[in-house]
Amino acid sequence: MSKDAITRRDFMRRALGAGLAACGLAELGGFGATDGASAEAAAGSTIVVASRKDPAGLVRAAVGALGGMGKFVKRGARVLVKPNIGWARRPEQAATTNPEVVAEIVRLCKQAGAREVKVMDHAVDRPDSLILKMTGIESAATKAGARVRMASSPALYEKVKLRGGKVLKSADVLRDMRRADAVINVPIAKVHNATRLTLGCKNLMGTVLDRGAWHRSDLEQCIADFVAEFPPDLVILDAIRILLTNGPKGPGRTEDKGLVVAGTDSVAVDAYAATLFGQRAERIQHLKLAHAMGAGEIDLERIRIRNV
Amino acid sequence: MYRRLRTARRITQLVFLAAFVLLFALATYPPKTRLPVDLFLRADPLIAISASVSLRKLIFPLVWYALPVVVLSLLLGRVYCGWICPMGTTIDICERALGIRGKRPAETPGWSRVKFYVLIAMIVTMVLPAAHRSTKEWGITDTVGLSAVYLMDPIALLTRTFTWVGLPAVQWAVGMTSDTLTSWSESDLVLEHPVLDRALYPVQAALSTVARQPPPYFRLGLLTFAVFVGIVALGRYANRFWCRNLCPLGALLGVLGKASPVRLAVSEKCTRCMRCVNECKVGAISEDPHKYRGPECVGCCSCLAVCPENAISLTTGHEDTGREDQVRVERRRVLEAIGCGIAAVVLPKVDWGTRRTEATEKVLKVSSARLIRPPGALAEDEFVTACVCCGECMKACPTNTLQPAFGEGGLEAVGTPIVVPRIGPCTQACNQCGEVCPTNAIASFSVEEKDHLYLGTALIDRSACIAWAADRQCLMCDEACSYDAISQETIDGVERPVVNEAICVGCGVCEFVCPVEPMGAIRVYSSGDRRHWTREEQREMRQDAEQERARGSPYPSV
Repeated sequence: MSKDAITRRDFMRRALGAGLAACGLAELGGFGATDGASAEAAAGSTIVVASRKDPAGLVRAAVGALGGMGKFVKRGARVLVKPNIGWARRPEQAATTNPEVVAEIVRLCKQAGAREVKVMDHAVDRPDSLILKMTGIESAATKAGARVRMASSPALYEKVKLRGGKVLKSADVLRDMRRADAVINVPIAKVHNATRLTLGCKNLMGTVLDRGAWHRSDLEQCIADFVAEFPPDLVILDAIRILLTNGPKGPGRTEDKGLVVAGTDSVAVDAYAATLFGQRAERIQHLKLAHAMGAGEIDLERIRIRNV
Repeated sequence: MYRRLRTARRITQLVFLAAFVLLFALATYPPKTRLPVDLFLRADPLIAISASVSLRKLIFPLVWYALPVVVLSLLLGRVYCGWICPMGTTIDICERALGIRGKRPAETPGWSRVKFYVLIAMIVTMVLPAAHRSTKEWGITDTVGLSAVYLMDPIALLTRTFTWVGLPAVQWAVGMTSDTLTSWSESDLVLEHPVLDRALYPVQAALSTVARQPPPYFRLGLLTFAVFVGIVALGRYANRFWCRNLCPLGALLGVLGKASPVRLAVSEKCTRCMRCVNECKVGAISEDPHKYRGPECVGCCSCLAVCPENAISLTTGHEDTGREDQVRVERRRVLEAIGCGIAAVVLPKVDWGTRRTEATEKVLKVSSARLIRPPGALAEDEFVTACVCCGECMKACPTNTLQPAFGEGGLEAVGTPIVVPRIGPCTQACNQCGEVCPTNAIASFSVEEKDHLYLGTALIDRSACIAWAADRQCLMCDEACSYDAISQETIDGVERPVVNEAICVGCGVCEFVCPVEPMGAIRVYSSGDRRHWTREEQREMRQDAEQERARGSPYPSV
């Protein structure tokens, strides 16, 4: 009962934050961020933008600037790497994460002493075998020492209640994500027909079993609820080649940006990545909602950006 | 010496069965081999004859592959049945494993003629005009026959039993093992154990490469299993009941084998101990062991191996050895068989499934709204004629979307493959069904051609669609569409999906991912089926649609 009361108070507080954010106050200088966690993020949101290197070099530079992989992955840790392996598309079509980026992350985790690195995603497309082969991620990550597996079996998920969720009250979440010592989200930056852009926050949808439920209720709020509840320890966003049209599956027009954006604040990384498409993060509904829920900083003025 | 021959036969049987199983397992996408995985189906003369006669043209890959079996039968009789046929070997193994011993070891002459009547009935169905054809060959004939061999051809029957029953069973078991191992590997015991964790992973990895998730299943599985159980159970009356009495391929090869110069000869040493009569797999030896019926003998060499006096030997030439080559069919029964053949052609025509839409002059399209054929499939009537329901395409299909039809195509099309998008999409990068189809009922096609092989059209049920009816943001269909056939239209501030019917090929990925339960608010219907068009015509249609879209017209004319 007492647990319930806290939840409700928490809910009210977050709802108030969202309400203020919706009023546009957030844009006036972060007054919408009444939540404690958000204030904290605002104070210390640092992201790294790596450029002008080969994919592996970009990853190394970005992670290095954040203090090295050892900061996120302790010796003997179990790590879940969550790239986008959602579609039966080739890497050059920029619908799935660059395999070299994934492989380098795996190598860095291994070097940091990770005991096990799992690379998993729950694909939208079918069949898994074809997706693994076409995206090139299976061979690259396996060579780097990861355990690659598509998360299609319902046996891999467990039901979790989201205490702070506004719309998303419970979800079947990938058990490996719940149990991992470190979760590294490795999205690719793409346009998205429904949510405008799909970046780090949206990429987390690949760790739940029933995505349809999100669409049936309120997609943007569910994404915000989820990232607020399960923030990854590290986001490494692949913007080496971004998809500009017909996303998220493509094939569409692509542009070579040659960037990797990394940080611990999911919303801040996404907020920066939105600018690569010439969009303002405040116009991406789920980022705005996630920010309002205290999941991270959306205002670029308040994000420290380190270029390496 | 003859004992060795029997051993050689048994080994050969196992080798061919192993090859059959291996090729079956290799029918996957992405392909793992360049071998023709449908080899046994291609080499089946009955399928070659049926496809060629009923389509009124020689299906050449089939003819070439089947020729060796025909030559083999002309030279050695029904050795295909005794040494090669995977169905025969499967029955042998089942009978031995289950200890099934027939009550009637010796000949069952009345029953053994049934297979010839079956063959006659099937030939009648091939020859009779059963439907119009969409394209004229040679300008002479514009009809196709009906292929009824699929019902009883042993290779087609065994392949579909493997696909519809064996594959789901094996995959289910593999999936359960994989899931169980996963739960073990997550236990604290294993997680903290230095060796167990590393030891368990390779097993898990191996299993997860074999396991298809979700495990495949098929709609006619139980019925097919019942038929197979029946075939094996008939062995309680007489061993290999199927081979000796029912198999139309056996009947065909038996007739060809009349020409064989190789014969069994029984010398004067025979003591009439009757062991050969009892051991004969197919009851070819009569009450008098000096005589045997040529069209029945499958060359299993059991009689040679068991004769305690070594009185039986193999000879060549045309001297009188006691082989009786005549097939004594009864005229009345033959007439009945012909009647059955005619009925098989006529009766399905009174079924509701044959109600069809007329597309062009004399060219009939499809019947049921949900009759979605795989890409590359011939126009409906030719397709039903050519398809032998072997299930090889369904085995190879990586998404499990290919399912045997129930009534979608009418009575004559039960068991033929249809796309069921709610189970899985016809994935853009795959062309495997066309590669493995033995009769080219699904003509081979390239992955590049898939954007203009029109299977059907997706239609949105706006009263159920989340975006249209509930004003919610969804667009899962647009997200998943491989061909960019769905666009968005913003009405009252909400983006709603719209299908471009000239671009949609009906692959069904939208229906597969649609979050509206249970049947999806976007569904593929057969209205967009353009199999009766040439591929060139379909390609032009696609190009026109692209151009029209580039000009900015949101609703191109179909």
